[in-house]
This record gives sequence, structure tokens and C-alpha cells, in this order.
Amino acid sequence: MTTHFPPSQITGAGLGLRSEHYQDILIHHPPVQWFEVLSDNYLAAAGQPLHYLERIRNNYPITLHGVGMSLGSADPLNLEYLTRLKRLANWMEPAYISDHLAWISINGCYLSDLAPLPYTEAVMEQVAQRIIQVQDFLEQRILLENPSTYVAFKSSTMPEWAFIQGVVDKADCDLLLDVNNIYVSATNHGFDPLNYLNAIPTERVKEIHLAGYEEEENYLFDTHGYQVHPPVWDLYQKALERFGAVPTLIEWDTDIPSFEVLMAEADKADALIKKIANNRSKA
Amino acid sequence: MLTGDLMELAALQQLFYDAIFDKSGTRSEALCQHITTAPNLTAADGIAIYRGSILGKLSSTLQAIYPFCHRLVGDTFFRMTASTYVHLSPSTSPDLGDYGEDFPEFLAMFEPAASLPYLPDMARFEWHWHRIFNGEDTSLLDFQALANIPHEKWGELIFKLPKASVLLESVYPIHRIWQVNQPDYEGDDSVNLDESGVKILLWRQNDEMRLDLPTDSEWQLLKAFQSQQPFGLICEALANNEATLDVSALLTQFVQRGWIADFSF
Repeated sequence: MTTHFPPSQITGAGLGLRSEHYQDILIHHPPVQWFEVLSDNYLAAAGQPLHYLERIRNNYPITLHGVGMSLGSADPLNLEYLTRLKRLANWMEPAYISDHLAWISINGCYLSDLAPLPYTEAVMEQVAQRIIQVQDFLEQRILLENPSTYVAFKSSTMPEWAFIQGVVDKADCDLLLDVNNIYVSATNHGFDPLNYLNAIPTERVKEIHLAGYEEEENYLFDTHGYQVHPPVWDLYQKALERFGAVPTLIEWDTDIPSFEVLMAEADKADALIKKIANNRSKA
Repeated sequence: MLTGDLMELAALQQLFYDAIFDKSGTRSEALCQHITTAPNLTAADGIAIYRGSILGKLSSTLQAIYPFCHRLVGDTFFRMTASTYVHLSPSTSPDLGDYGEDFPEFLAMFEPAASLPYLPDMARFEWHWHRIFNGEDTSLLDFQALANIPHEKWGELIFKLPKASVLLESVYPIHRIWQVNQPDYEGDDSVNLDESGVKILLWRQNDEMRLDLPTDSEWQLLKAFQSQQPFGLICEALANNEATLDVSALLTQFVQRGWIADFSF
């Protein structure tokens, strides 16, 4: 495979790459600054989805975002999965590779969605060691994304923000800060989202996610199926003030709307990023 | 991590996994003992949220891989069927594209689907469509290299079907069922289940999926090539059959159609 891709660096607002939009993207070349690719959908050695991805990569920088690392699992790392991911990364030259502070597998059986962790010193050490092994294997730092959670464990000895801080220090990894997840978890568990935001080391945040939750009767559900809600935009502005003009993804995974709707969300994020960048350059 | 801590984490995660799939509720109750009650969410509420999300994702994965089966039986029946299946068949891969391979076999044994005897074969067709669509590309046959093989060596050649291909047969006209359920189909949408069955070569040529219907003679030769035997042995075996096949003419046609994608010794 010969590759002559454009540079990998990402700036501004990006969108998630979805199969529904392949043709639109290839024909109209929309002014999207970058795409997030769900790496787990492209791990086969070949096939039609990879053809589309390669053609799109010819025109746009990308990131690779997955759920399959199962960084919090007690199982050994899945080396076959990591091998396929590394092959994809070597081919597509992403700006970043990211996965979640969560687990999806135990005793070889997979859950298909992210499951929560107890936040203890021992689990922190376990997660950090696994990230170190992954980074050694992939030969690059990864971004760790904070989850949205609906349970907290009695055995936890610290809040999630302290846990993440400890993992990042021990593993020397970077962060994908999901601002919507902070807001959802803060509402569900009853903590101040600013406590979370203010505990995150500024130099580690390389990417931000924004998404839309669904408001259920007694909790917020992180469905990624709606526009970003006003309180999340407010929290996002505070995040930009703290972390700077961080590249930001509009994450929309279900009930995916037209490209125009997605671009409108991206444009809104981009305007805020530009504003903070201008403010910082004047300071 | 200390062995004791790791075992403790593994036990908690196994309990969580069991609680997601447990229909009796006993594992959920056990897991609740480990969970803090939040201001607006009880432990049971929180587990139910994860359960709904995880089971829903497995079910929607099946729907995405088996869209024709979904359309044939309707949403309610499909959801019920998928719910039964996901409780019986755990996912063993981080790639959801690997999930559901034995769904056709499950359908064949699933009593509520017994009145739809063609359904397992339709599912089998869809599974292979999914794998071929996402599977390894087929290289183009190196015609020059083939032309350079001395004719006396041809008996040793092993001809290969496209990597992204499968030979399927059914006693039901599943190709007609597939055809009339295409979104852009116009025409007579009646399907006579008693009409003759079908033999299908399903494969991908570059980005295009191909559903070809070989004749009986072509099928015979395709199955022989699929066995990966040397060409000479194939010709001998077919010469002993009652029906006479013009193997050379068929091979030429196969090559022209792209049904032969490679060869080796």
C-alpha cells in the first residue's frame, strides 16, 4: 500500500465519518476540517469500507477512535485486535488513536458497549499498565476518553477525575475529554462538572468530544443522537477557556441527521474555538 | 496489579457481565450490593441502563447484518428472536462485524420460526453477503502469467475462486426472495416457495457485489475448483461422470467472468 496522505494534524471542529455520508463526502468534498473514524469498523484487511476510507483519507486528516481495547478489563490485552489496529493506523496515518476508560470484555466474552470501573488505587495501576503496554505496541501515545456512567461502585476510593489524573500521570498518555460525558455523569451522580474540568491537567487534553444526550425521567442518557444541549455548550466554553483551542469532534452516532445539520454543529464549535484562539493570541 | 486485586476485579466484572444477561434477576441483585445509590438512580436502575444499551446494541447489530430477515418477519418478531439469540450466543470478538455467524443455525432450531422454512437459508445468504462485502479483496487474474504456463503443466494448476466469494445452495428460491425485497424492485413480487431451489455464486468484484446463478454444469466445475484440487485431477473426475462437461470451454468462460481469480501449483 502506497500512501500520499495529507498531513495528519487536526485543528478546529471535526465530524464522525459515517457510511451514510460516504458518497456525499467523495462527491461534494464538504469543508470538514477532519473526520473521526470508528476504527473497529475498519479492522478487516480489506473490503469496501476500507476503499471508501482510503479515498476519504486522501482529502482529510482523521483520528481513529475505538472501543475494543478494553483498557479496564481484568483480561489480558487482545493482541490480535491491537495488531489489526496497528496495521490500520500505519496505513491511514491518523492524528490520534483513542479509546475509553472502561472495559468491554471479561473471560473472552464481549459486552458490545462500555462498562464502568471501580476507582481504586489498584485499578488505577492496572489501567495505567495496560495503557503503557498498548502505547509500546502501537509505538505512540493514545488518548484516553472519560466515560459517561450510570453506576458508581462502593469500593471506589476517589472520584473519577482524580482517577483519570492518576492514570494519565502513571501511563504518560493524553486525554480525549468528552464534555458531554462529564455533564451526563455529573447530573447522574450529583457532582459539579466544574470540579471535574478543573482537575484535568491542561497539557494532556488533545481532543474534545461534544454530543447530544437524551433527557429521561430521572437521568441523562448519553445516546449521541441529538444536538448538543445548551448546558453542554456552556461547559464546553469553560473547557476551551481552560484548555485552549483544542480540536473538537461533534459526535453523532444514532438517528444520524443530514450533513447540513452536522456541519451547523461543527460550525458552532469552530466559531467558539476561533474565538478562544483569538483571545489567547491577544493576551 | 496484585493477583488478589486482579481476581477481585475479574470477579466483579464477571458478575457485571452475568447481571446483564441474567433473566432471573439473581445476578443483578448480587451486583447491586456493590453499587452506590445515586441521587436519582438506584443501583438496579443503573444496571438496567447498561443492560438495555448492551442488549440493544447486539440486537441492532443482528438487524444490520440480517436486514432481509428483519423485513421478512417484521420488527416485533425479529426483536423477540434477536433477544433470545443474544442470551444464548455471547459475543467473543471486539469486532461487532464478527457477531451473529451462527444466527442461521439458531433460526433453523427456533420453533417460533418453523413456519418460515426458508428463513435459515435467507440468513445464511445474508451472513455471507456481509462477510464478502467487508472481506478481503480479490486480485485480478494474472493472464500473462497464466499464458506463460506450458500447456503440459496445466494439469498441475490449482485454479482459485475469488477470495471474497461463496457457493450457496437452497431448496428454496432465496434469490427471488432477495430480489423482490430490493428497495427499487418493480414487478411481480410473488414468490412461489415450491418452485425449484437455487445455486448461487455470491462474490464481490471490486466494489460491486455479484449474485450469479451458475448452470448445473458450471456449478459442478465451480465446486470442483473450490476443492482446490489440481486441474488434471478435476478433469479426470469429471470425465468419469455421466454428464460430459466441456471443461476447457467452461474454464475460459469462468476466467472471462472473473470467477477464476488466481492460480497456483
